[in-house]
Amino acid sequence: MTSHWRAECRLSLTILLRQPGFWVPSVLFPAMLYAFFGAQGGDGHWAANAMASFSIYAVLGVGFYQFGVSLAQDRESEFATWQRSLPGHQANRWLARIISSLVFVSLAVCLVIMAAHLLTEIALAVASWARLGLACLLVTIPATVMGVALGSVSSARAAVPLANLIFLPLAYLGGLWIPPIALPDPIAAISEWTPTRAMGELAWAAIQGTAWQPRYIGLLLGWMVISSAVIVVSHWGKSRR
Amino acid sequence: MSSRTNAVPLYAADLAKRYGPVQAVSNVTLELAAGSALALLGPNGAGKSTTLSILMGLAMPDSGKARIFGYPAGSAEARQLTGATPQATDFPGQLTPRELLFYTAACYGKQPQVAQLIGQFGLERLIDRRVAGFSGGERRRVALALAFVGTPRLVFLDEPTTGLDTHGQNAFRAAAQEYVDQGGALVLTSHHWDEIEAICDHITLIDKGETVLTAHIEEIRRRANVKQLNFNLPLGITPPDWMRATHDGHRWHLQAADADSVVRQMVIDDLPFHDLSVEPLPLDALIGRIRQEETIQ
Repeated sequence: MTSHWRAECRLSLTILLRQPGFWVPSVLFPAMLYAFFGAQGGDGHWAANAMASFSIYAVLGVGFYQFGVSLAQDRESEFATWQRSLPGHQANRWLARIISSLVFVSLAVCLVIMAAHLLTEIALAVASWARLGLACLLVTIPATVMGVALGSVSSARAAVPLANLIFLPLAYLGGLWIPPIALPDPIAAISEWTPTRAMGELAWAAIQGTAWQPRYIGLLLGWMVISSAVIVVSHWGKSRR
Repeated sequence: MSSRTNAVPLYAADLAKRYGPVQAVSNVTLELAAGSALALLGPNGAGKSTTLSILMGLAMPDSGKARIFGYPAGSAEARQLTGATPQATDFPGQLTPRELLFYTAACYGKQPQVAQLIGQFGLERLIDRRVAGFSGGERRRVALALAFVGTPRLVFLDEPTTGLDTHGQNAFRAAAQEYVDQGGALVLTSHHWDEIEAICDHITLIDKGETVLTAHIEEIRRRANVKQLNFNLPLGITPPDWMRATHDGHRWHLQAADADSVVRQMVIDDLPFHDLSVEPLPLDALIGRIRQEETIQ
């Protein structure tokens, strides 16, 4: 007998893995962008920072697309509706989503790191690698909550363009593509308040061996509260419909 | 939450549910015993699907109560005891029926009886193929197997045989009858009257969101013990007035409670009829008759 959460994991991973047209590009994309734009800046700190930025970009992308888009599509699927009538705790379905996301996040981040090793001379202490890994894991949580918020309010058709519309500017504003120091002043002022900036700061601090600043952790918590509120309000609205 | 050991599989009273400006269900009451099958009938838009959604725990009623074996509809206990067919159209195409059966059984914490389900629902050729290439009828077979894979004690089947071929329909009937014979409780919505008669012993008729008739099918037959007589007459001859027969362009028809007396009188009258047939009135016509009687009363 397979336990329920394992069955849920197997189901969602099987569905995803059998769509290579979906996951191969999703997993390759951050590494490719890194190779084009991140790895050009030379060696040392700069290369390591860029690698950290694109790792965060990979995490955020999967959180946003995997959760936001698939959730919006599920809401309009009869199969997903039927799944809700099955026994087994709903938490197991969420656990399965998170685990399958983590599989793809890890793949995408590994590819960015591999690209960094191939294209630049990166030498980091073990502690820095560990903290970068931890930062990626931590960032998965707000990325997921934000993705779920997007999926709760958007229709299946609107989810992909909406995710792009939010995700790409956020990546830019947060300094994941261009270091915050290189952003124009007005953009830099906005950047301070974006969730992507806070995520980036966690990763950069890991690379540089500096402490994580409470300000950015607080900022991420704030964005999680806002996203959670969106989720709660949209669910409340649906249950009344 | 109270667990009642002798609670009936399904009890719903005074259900009401509004979607925006539409009052989908306003006053639905249902009850179903173990080893019994209920047909939920009604025209399109009568509120059957909304009622099923409430009973499956997918929608909250605005008022009224729905209990599955004494547990609130949609509770973990209720879901553990019930099975339902998914709308067959949108299975994830990457999966095979075998994988879907193992997944669904695991939700119930059980091991699927795959061999038995393959036989019951004709999945032999399909079991290890990906669902993406399946026809509507093939998907429907999978959907039916999924309703039963968790060995539930109550099953909801919403138009289960749409798109099925005759062989598939017969296989489904046999499986449903066996399930009920073994003590299962079954709720069926269908537009096939022969299917309803073959499987169900009770009907609940819903119209404009309200339960308008609940009855035992045998009782309906008893109450309206009416036969339909059909016969031909040579061209130019019409039946006598007392028969009140109607002609549909091909044959003459009349309905009578005492068909024997009518036939005797036809012989006495020396009516030159041929190709006479006497049939019980179809269930839908009987229900129509009973509703008419009740409105007149």
